[in-house]
Amino acid sequence: MRRPAGRTDGHRKGAAPRPPRRSALAGPLDAVLGATLRRVARENPAAFDRLGAYRDAAFLIIPNGAPVAFRLEPAGRQGRVTVVQPDDRQPVAACVRGPLVDLIALFAGVYDADAAFFARRIEVDGDTSAIMALHNALEAADLGVGDLIGAPRHFRPRLNASLAALLTLARARTALGA
Amino acid sequence: MLRAAVTSGADAVYCGLRDETNARNFPGLNFSPEELADAVEWAHGHGARVLVAINTFARAGHVEAWRAAVDTAVAAGADAIIAADIGVLSYLRDSHPGQRVHLSVQAAAGSPEAIAFYADAYGVRRVVLPRVLSAPEIATLTSSVPVEIEAFVFGGLCVMAEGRCALSSYATGRSPNLSGVCSPPEAVTFERSSSALTPRLAGLAIDRFAPGEPAGYPTLCKGRFETAGETAYLFEEPVSLNAMGLLKALRDAGVRAVKVEGRQRGKAYVSRVASAFRDAIDALDRGETLDGYERRLSDLAEGGRETAGAYRKRWR
Repeated sequence: MRRPAGRTDGHRKGAAPRPPRRSALAGPLDAVLGATLRRVARENPAAFDRLGAYRDAAFLIIPNGAPVAFRLEPAGRQGRVTVVQPDDRQPVAACVRGPLVDLIALFAGVYDADAAFFARRIEVDGDTSAIMALHNALEAADLGVGDLIGAPRHFRPRLNASLAALLTLARARTALGA
Repeated sequence: MLRAAVTSGADAVYCGLRDETNARNFPGLNFSPEELADAVEWAHGHGARVLVAINTFARAGHVEAWRAAVDTAVAAGADAIIAADIGVLSYLRDSHPGQRVHLSVQAAAGSPEAIAFYADAYGVRRVVLPRVLSAPEIATLTSSVPVEIEAFVFGGLCVMAEGRCALSSYATGRSPNLSGVCSPPEAVTFERSSSALTPRLAGLAIDRFAPGEPAGYPTLCKGRFETAGETAYLFEEPVSLNAMGLLKALRDAGVRAVKVEGRQRGKAYVSRVASAFRDAIDALDRGETLDGYERRLSDLAEGGRETAGAYRKRWR
């Protein structure tokens, strides 16, 4: 019943890996997103320690309807983000799927994850414990959109508040259209 | 999240250490001893109090973790410790006689006699009431006890006798009262098909949600089961407590503090709920009605529905 620490079970167990198809933009996007993840980890070491047994796990983030997904590997603060196909078959600990604006709002602490689950806005597959550890680590990091985009630190509180309001508005519009 | 609560208007924040000594022992949640000390210092600097929950029941022969948690919380400068186990309460009384102690909801003290016992025997200064009393019952009780009364006003509900739930441990071997975790996430899986979402706990199907149907927590108490040819919630429906409309009644009943459940939720939830209740309480102080406040939090509710729970006791 319980999974060994750090084990990365495939959420599509039994499927054979296949060579990934990647666009020309994927490489630069990997570099930018990976650098963002490592910077956030550097700025919030205690928060990332909360991943505990899942620090070396991999997570797949799939925005609904998008041509790509994101494979996120905290890797003990040597983090990596890889742009992959939404149907990527590499093993991961857990997978979360939902509208892009909701996923950004969750990362930025603007949208409550439980409320998103209750409303069926997001779906989680795989190791629930891993996704909960990731969620709690992100919450502990107390990130805002300004932190994610690497805005200068002294601008972040005001920028985070402004962008949070915009994100809430965008999310509400998306939800109405759902 | 502690900071989000304080900056959104909470007077006090309750939290726990990162182990089985508190009832929200989930992966990645809670404080290390160093983080707790920092959090207390920050909260005090912002005019807020920190209440540390050490509210699970110590296991016979393994009480060291609970004693260490008490020592850590006291050393960190906690304004109060919330406990339920009489072993933990006894250790607090004997080892830290000056420490303020609150009785956790887990102790299920819902009568004047029970509350007086905890006040006399362990010096408890505040009691968090079990969520089984109506507002008039609370008014009667509050006037006859020598301690402060705190009442839950928002968040998840637990229908079992507080502090004695065996459903999670029956299915998974881990319980909220002993291990600090209900439906441990490593035992939870979600099965998806085109027609339904099926949450499972240790392999047991506990509900089946149609596409678009609001979901609840994957706990056995919120499960929907088939009995005698009918499918229904047997213990409790997935619904959240919202007693904002009863704030005035609770205040008139002598309730000293109101409490929001949801330590396992994120800052988006904490900020909105703390802010809404701060605004509502301030509005009450100004003599205003709460009509404009009651629906501000509906989208946060489990299963998309809210209830005033036992406070209104409509089933009697």
